[in-house]
Amino acid sequence: MRNTIFEENAEILANVKHPGDQFVMRVRAPKTAAAARPGQFVHLRVSGERPMRRPISIMLTDPEKGTVDLLVKAIGEGTRLLRERKVGETMPMLGPIGRPFDLSDTSKRYVLIGGGVGVPPMIFCAMALRGKAPMVVFAGSEVEFPFALKPSTAILPGVGGNAILGIASLEDRGIASRLASNAGLYGCFEGHVPDLARNYLAALSDDERARCVLLSCGPHPMLHAVARVGREFGIPAYLSLEEHMACGIGGCAGCVVKTIEGGEEKYRRVCVDGPVFESSLLPEFA
Amino acid sequence: MTSESVHPSNIAAELSIDFAGLKLQTPLVLLSGCVGFGEEFTRIEGYSNRDVGAVILKGATLEPRMGNAPHRVYETPSGMLNAIGLQNPGARYVVEHVLPRLPHHETQFWANANGSSLQDYAEVARIFDDSPVTAIEINISCPNVKEGGVHFGNDPVMAARVVEAMRPMTSKPLITKLSPNNADIADTARRVIEAGTDGLSVINTLVGMAVDTEKRKPVIANVSGGLSGPAIKPVALWKVHQTYAVAKQHHIPILGQGGICCAQDALEFAIVGSSAIGIGTGLFYDPLTCKKMLSGISEYLNRHQLETFSSLVGSLQH
Repeated sequence: MRNTIFEENAEILANVKHPGDQFVMRVRAPKTAAAARPGQFVHLRVSGERPMRRPISIMLTDPEKGTVDLLVKAIGEGTRLLRERKVGETMPMLGPIGRPFDLSDTSKRYVLIGGGVGVPPMIFCAMALRGKAPMVVFAGSEVEFPFALKPSTAILPGVGGNAILGIASLEDRGIASRLASNAGLYGCFEGHVPDLARNYLAALSDDERARCVLLSCGPHPMLHAVARVGREFGIPAYLSLEEHMACGIGGCAGCVVKTIEGGEEKYRRVCVDGPVFESSLLPEFA
Repeated sequence: MTSESVHPSNIAAELSIDFAGLKLQTPLVLLSGCVGFGEEFTRIEGYSNRDVGAVILKGATLEPRMGNAPHRVYETPSGMLNAIGLQNPGARYVVEHVLPRLPHHETQFWANANGSSLQDYAEVARIFDDSPVTAIEINISCPNVKEGGVHFGNDPVMAARVVEAMRPMTSKPLITKLSPNNADIADTARRVIEAGTDGLSVINTLVGMAVDTEKRKPVIANVSGGLSGPAIKPVALWKVHQTYAVAKQHHIPILGQGGICCAQDALEFAIVGSSAIGIGTGLFYDPLTCKKMLSGISEYLNRHQLETFSSLVGSLQH
């Protein structure tokens, strides 16, 4: 399936800075907002100084208001320039791009595991799954979370102790969530977020666990751990990857990841063949 | 998914060009390696194949190639490095499975032929000869593969032998892509013209590298990559200027390229001798740049009371 990709001059409506060089940006891009699905990204020309575009995961859209929310961490020159952009300014933006997460099987229980700036696609997935399939969101961060937090009212098997907080916007919509951190953040599971998810999965009955699917986005070490959890319990793990990107629409084959399909090694384009891949196809994560 | 071209109808008369015996609807040519096998940019709302005279398909070799490990691309000041490594499914696959899907009524598609031996190049030419591509670009200047490629392009005698090997295999125009990484581009141009090339692509990327200081490793897995984008524009203009001095004596057209991002860039390349205007990295900056370029070129031609784009080619006063 090929969706149309739109080039919009996205107007910055908000740019809220958070600890750890994180910022949440809301832009007006009605066509992307209307078409985007969880797991897709936008390709932003952040500045004339650095005209190559930067791929940024979509956190949430409001199709009625025509807005797209992005969570970014300023880690390189491009994202640092993006952080300094002001409300009212515009940026050329291509979107939505990429194969989204497959959320079509509503008989499954979706376990969403996000780390750092990999949390946004999990929020988008959760909003899309709401009322359709059972799910739980686990989010990890080593700096203060860039979201409002509140005590979670959901009781999750295998999740106890200090892990009492959830993401407020999810909890308010009846979506269960829990947090993990190694930085001693209040109300979080002390450890890595895949371990939190593992504790939850281990406490499920065999039948319940067999229905689970892992969806994940985050740093590579975290994705490795998520793939291991999937293997340990024999459940599929879908990982959203990132790679240096040039065109962002499949024209240059610059952003590849190695896959093994039918015994044959291939390089697939992260931008349009991904960014979501099943972990068993990826030798790096197998 | 392509939308109807929106440029005014009078532009077609001004901007269509003759290139190596082909009639191109505009002088803009999308460059090999930047637009996949012609099916990617058509997904973008507002993009139209009708705005370009030709689309050059991703480089093809006789056998499929996996390409290089990542990272393959990296942004540098005013440009980018790439080392894709000619990832492609093989020339036969392109002819049998890709070309039948392409909208040949919207624009021309050209092949880009690569090889690691003279026999490879000849066979790839033969395969594309029996296909709907209207021309074959010879890539003797790819810097990112260990065998073939630039090793032919950096040796003027070998470059000419590649053209000689391909010439009897096809009646389609052959366009030889010259490397900027050799000492005397004009000498290479003269030799490939004498060997039977119908056109010249000037220039391919300049070889460069980038370093990750935290890891003390090259950013590009291939260590070196090809530098493209506005950073190389002055070099490209100079190489086109040098090549044009030879090419015009033989009435061989040049497809100028190297950092062209806007109408102003296109005009500069035309003035130094480019009959056609190649766009690569500029598409990554703005995938809808072609319409804007055509509009800017038209405005310039009108302002200078020039009836055709071609009348601008090689008009440098010096």
